[in-house]
Amino acid sequence: MADFIKQNAGRFFANNKKGENAELLADLNSEYRDRRKDAVKRVIANMTVGKDVSSLFPQVVKNMQTEDLEMKKLVYLYLMNYAKSNPDLVILAVNTFVKDTDHVNPLIRALAIRTMGCIRVDKILDHICEPLRKCLQDDNPYVRKTAAIGVAKLWDLDQERALENGFVTILQELVSDSNPMVVANAVTALAEMQESSVSKDIFVVNVAIMNKMLAALNECTEWGQIAILTSLADYKPMDAKEAENVCERVVPRLQHANGSVVLSAVRVIMIFLRYIRSEDFIKGLIKKMSPPLVTLLASAPEVQYVSLRNINLILQKRPDILQNDVRVFFCKYNDPPYVKREKLEIMIKLCNDKNIDQILSELKEYASEVDVDFVRKAVRAIGRCAIMIDEASERCVNVLLDLINTKVNYVVQEAIIVIKDIFRKYPKRYEAIIPTLCQNLDSLDEPEAKGSLIWIIGEYAERIENADELIENFLETFLEENSQVQLQLLTATVKLFMKKPDQSQEIVHRVLETATSEIDNPDTRDRAYIYWRLLSTNPEAARAVVLSEKPPISVETRTISPALMDELINNISTLASVYHKPPKAFMGNRAFSADAVKKAAAADARDEEQIIGDAVLDASGAPAPKNAMADLLDLDFGSSEPAYTSPPVSSSKPANNSGPNYSADLFDMSTDMSGSSGNVFGGMGGMGGMGGMGGMGGMGGMQQQQTQHQQQAPTPARNDPFGDLGGLGGFGQPQQQQPTKPTQSSAENDLLGLF
Amino acid sequence: MIESLFVLSPTGKVIIEKHWHELIPRRVVDFFNDQVSKAMAEGEDVTREDVLPIIASPKYQLINVYRDGLTYLSPVTKEVDPMMVFEFLHRIPDIMQEYFGQVSETVIKENFVTVYQLLEEMMDDGFPLTTEPNSLKEIVPAPNILNKVITTMGATTSVSTRKMPNGMSNLPWRKAGVKYNSNEIFFDIVEEIDAIVDSTGKAVSCEAHGTIQTNSRLSGMPDLTLSFVNPRLVDDCSFHQSVRFNKWESDKVLSFVPPDGHFRLMSYRVNLPSQQNLPIQVKPSINIGANGAKFDITVSLRNTDGKAVENVVLTLPLHKSTSTLTAQCNVGQYMFDPVGKVLRWDVGKIVPRERAPVLSGSFGFGSASSEAAANAGYNIGVEFLINSHSLSGLKVDVLKLFNESYKPYKGVRTMTKAGRYQVRA
Repeated sequence: MADFIKQNAGRFFANNKKGENAELLADLNSEYRDRRKDAVKRVIANMTVGKDVSSLFPQVVKNMQTEDLEMKKLVYLYLMNYAKSNPDLVILAVNTFVKDTDHVNPLIRALAIRTMGCIRVDKILDHICEPLRKCLQDDNPYVRKTAAIGVAKLWDLDQERALENGFVTILQELVSDSNPMVVANAVTALAEMQESSVSKDIFVVNVAIMNKMLAALNECTEWGQIAILTSLADYKPMDAKEAENVCERVVPRLQHANGSVVLSAVRVIMIFLRYIRSEDFIKGLIKKMSPPLVTLLASAPEVQYVSLRNINLILQKRPDILQNDVRVFFCKYNDPPYVKREKLEIMIKLCNDKNIDQILSELKEYASEVDVDFVRKAVRAIGRCAIMIDEASERCVNVLLDLINTKVNYVVQEAIIVIKDIFRKYPKRYEAIIPTLCQNLDSLDEPEAKGSLIWIIGEYAERIENADELIENFLETFLEENSQVQLQLLTATVKLFMKKPDQSQEIVHRVLETATSEIDNPDTRDRAYIYWRLLSTNPEAARAVVLSEKPPISVETRTISPALMDELINNISTLASVYHKPPKAFMGNRAFSADAVKKAAAADARDEEQIIGDAVLDASGAPAPKNAMADLLDLDFGSSEPAYTSPPVSSSKPANNSGPNYSADLFDMSTDMSGSSGNVFGGMGGMGGMGGMGGMGGMGGMQQQQTQHQQQAPTPARNDPFGDLGGLGGFGQPQQQQPTKPTQSSAENDLLGLF
Repeated sequence: MIESLFVLSPTGKVIIEKHWHELIPRRVVDFFNDQVSKAMAEGEDVTREDVLPIIASPKYQLINVYRDGLTYLSPVTKEVDPMMVFEFLHRIPDIMQEYFGQVSETVIKENFVTVYQLLEEMMDDGFPLTTEPNSLKEIVPAPNILNKVITTMGATTSVSTRKMPNGMSNLPWRKAGVKYNSNEIFFDIVEEIDAIVDSTGKAVSCEAHGTIQTNSRLSGMPDLTLSFVNPRLVDDCSFHQSVRFNKWESDKVLSFVPPDGHFRLMSYRVNLPSQQNLPIQVKPSINIGANGAKFDITVSLRNTDGKAVENVVLTLPLHKSTSTLTAQCNVGQYMFDPVGKVLRWDVGKIVPRERAPVLSGSFGFGSASSEAAANAGYNIGVEFLINSHSLSGLKVDVLKLFNESYKPYKGVRTMTKAGRYQVRA
C-alpha cells in the first residue's frame, strides 16, 4: 500500500518539467470530471512546493463551477494563493463566488463567503458587501457564524466600508443570536475589531452582552469558549453579587480538557475576585482553581511552561492557593530546563515550615544534577529557604555543608555565596562553620564566591585566629583580581585593621598604598582613598562607617509591584503573563517617549534584515526571572558583569530591604525617559548618600556611568522593546540586555561594601 | 489570532507554510533557526527539546512546538493567548496522526494536498474553526486504499455536497442518522502513573492520570449514563464536550450523547499518597568510586493483584564521562549506548512469584572524570504496562441507555502503565 501511495504521490510531483504545465492545461480542460480534479490536485501539489502554476489561473478557475465540494475547495485553495499576484484575474472568479453565496447548500454558501473574505485583494471588496450582508442574515447558523468572521476580515482591510454598510451593527446584533456558535464567532470578530478600532466603541461588554455570552458559554466549541471568556474578563461587575454570579457560571470551564479554556476561566475568576467580599466564597473559588492548575502540569512541556509562569503570578496574588500541592512541582530529571526553573521558583514560593524538609531534600537532590545552571539555582534556593524560614535555617545550613563536602567546584562556590547571605540574615549564629568554609579557599575561582568568603573573613575577623594570614594570602594576587574581589579585599582589610589593629597595621597600609597608586580602576582606587582619608582624619568615623550595623535582609517572594501585578492578573493566559511584563513592553504600538522616538528613528534607519536579525532576548535567557534573591545575593558585591563596573556610591539607603525592586523600577524608568537621568541618579547618589565624603567617589561614578551610557545606548535603540520598558518590574530581564540592571545593583552593593 | 504556521524539518527547512491572515515573510524562520542553534550551542547537553517554546523577536513572538523531530512554528504579531496557540499547534500533528497513521517529513510531503486542505479547514482568518477529527473527516476525506482506487478508476469519491457538517446540528459533535447493525460501545480506561520514587522505594510524588478513550458504535441518538463504583476517588477531571457537567457535579455520573466513533470521554487525575503501594519496585544501588561505579538494580513486583507486568524497560542515563560498562542480567537484555551514555535494560515481562530480575555490573569514567562525575545523581526511567489493572481503583459500574430501544453491548478494558515514572538512585 505504501508503494501505491508513493506512486500516486509521485504522479503529483511528476518530474517531467518540460510541458508539465501544458499537460496540466490539457487535463484541466478535460471532459472527464475526475481527470480535471486530478489535475487540480496536481496543480495544488506543485503550488505547495513553490512551482509557478499561476499561468493556469483561468483554467483552474473554470473548474470552480462544480457541485463537487472537494473540487471547489481545491480551486478555492488555489485562488487564495494566487489572488494577490493576479488581482485582475480574481474578477473572473467573483461571479462564481457571488453565485455560490446563493447556493441551496449552506455548506457552499459558507465556504464561498469564507473564501471571499480570505482573498485579501481590494478589487474583491467591491463585490463582497452584498453577499456578506445576505450571509449574516442567513437562516442557517453555520453560514451566519462563518459570515461573522467575514466581517472581521473586511474590517481588517477597510474599516470605513464595514461601518458604512452597517456590518458592525449587524454583528453586534448577532451576539444575541439563538445559536451559541454564532454568538461565539460574533464575539470573536467584535473583540478583534475592537482592538484595532480607533474609537474603541465597537464592543463594550455590558450586562446584556455579558448575559448573552454566559448563556452561550457552555454550548459553543472550545475555541468559542476561549473567545467568550476573554471578552468576559473585560466586564466590570456592578457589585459583589454579580461578580459571584459570573464566577459560578465560569467555574465549570475549569473542567475543560483544553488548557487555554482553563486558564481563560482562571483569568475571569482572578479578576472578579477583586469585587467579591465574602471570604468563604473566595476560599471556595481558590480551592476550585487548584486541581485544574495541577492537572495542566501533566501536559506537554510548552503547556506546562505557560501554566507555571501563570501559577507563579497567581501565587503572588493569592498565596493561599496550591498550599498542599508542592509535590507536583518537584522536578523530573528529564523535564526541560525551562520547566525545571519555573518549578523551582514555585517550590520556593510554596515553602513553609511544614514542607521545608521535603523541599530541602528535593533541592539537595537537584544539586547533584548535571545541568550546572540548574544546580546553582537549586543551591541558591536552599539559601532563600534559610532566609525565609528561621526555624529551618539550621537544616539548610547543614544541607549546604553537605554540599560543600562534595567538593564539586561550582557547588562549593555557590554554597559559599549563599552562606554569606545566611550570615547576613542571622549574624553570629553559624560562626562555627567558618573553618569549613576556609578549607575551600583554594578552590574558589569565581569573583562572587571569592568576594563572599572575603566578606565573611572581614566580618568575623575577630573570631578567626588566622584572619590576617587568610587576607594576606588573598592579597598576594591583589592586582590580578577582578575589581569586585579587590573591593571586598579592601573592605575586609580595613575591617581586620579595626578589629585587630596591632596585627594588621602593616597590611592595611600596604593595601591602601597599592590600591591608590597602582590600580587604575576608579572604583577600587577611590574607595581606597575614602578609607585612607577616613582612617587618617577620624578613626572613630571610620569605625562607625565600616563596622556599622548591617541592614537585615529578607527574601521577597513577591517580585512584582502591586500595580504591575494587577495589570498582569488582567492578562493571565497571555504573553504578558509569560513574560511577566505589561503587553506594551513587548508588543509594537507602545507609547513613545521623546527619547524612544529618537531610538525608533535610529532603528528604522537600519538594514531591513536587522529588524528581525536583532535579538532582543537570547532564547535561553528570555523570561527567566531574575528574582529578588538574585538581587539580594548581589547586594554585597559588584555585579557579575565585570564589564559594568560600579559607581562607588548610591543614594539608596541600604536599609531599604525591598530596595532592589523599587529602585530598579526607578532606575529603569528614568533611563527610558531620558538618556541622562541615569547619570544624575548615580551622581546625586554620591552627594546624598555619603555627604561630602562621598563626593570624590561620586565623581568617579559619574565618569563611569557616562561611559556606560554610551555603551548601552545602542541597545534600546535597536528597537528593543524589552530593553527599556522591561525593567518596570525590576525583574525578568536578561542580564546581558540590561546594562542598567547591573549598574543599579552594583550601585547598592558598593555602598554596602563600604561597611 | 494565529496568523501563520511554518512546519520545519529536523534541519530547520520549511516543509509547510500556511498564512491564514497576512503573509509573514519566510526570513522569520531563519531568525528562529538562528535562535535555536544559539540556544543549543550553550552547552553540550542542550537538546532541541530544551529550547524555549516562546522566543521573542522585535517584531514577532515566535511560539513553537517541537514534536517528533518537527517544529510547528507560529509567529504572532499581536498579544495572544499562548496556551491557545500551543493547544492548536498540538492539534495539527494529532490530526495528521489520525489521518496518515504517522507524522514525519516524508508523510507530510506525500500528502501535501490533504494537509493543506486540513489546515484550511482548521482555521479561518487566524481563528480556529474545525478541529474535531470526526468532523474534519467528513469535510476532508482521509487517504485510504479505497479512496485511491476509486479515484484512479475514475469514479466519484468526494464528500457528498448534500451532507451537513456537524456544526449544524443541535449537538455539534454528533451527526444525525447513524446506523449500526450491532450496537456496541467500548471504554478503554488507561491510567498513566507519574511518579518520582526515592532509592528506598518511597514515592516522593505520585499521581495517576487516567483517560477514558471511547469508541461508540451506536445507532440513532443514544443518551447514555455511565456510573462508577467509586467516583469520589477522582481529584480533578475534564470531559468531552458532550458530558453534562451538572450531572457530574450533582450525582457523579457521566451523562452524555456520544459522538460517533472514537473520542476521549473523560480525563482525570488521582493524587496517590506517598505510602501508595506502587505495582513495581526498582531497587538500585550504585556505589561510586573515583574512577567508576559498581551497580546493581533489582526489579520486583508489588501490589499488582497477581497480574503480570509487561514491557518493562529501565533506562539509566549515565554521566557524560562514562567510558566503559560491563554488566549482566538474569532476565531480558541490556544495551549500553556509548554515544548517548544511556544504559537500557529491556526486562520484558515479569510474572508474580518468579525470580526477580537483576542487572548488575560496573562502569568506569574516562580520563576527564571529575568530582562532578563522582557526585552526580542517577535517575532510572521506568516503563511498564499492566493489563486489566487500574492503580487508582476507579471502576465502571453500569451503563444505562435512554432515548433508543436497543440494548447496546458494553466493553470495558483497563490498563495501567508508567507515564513519567522515575526512580532516584
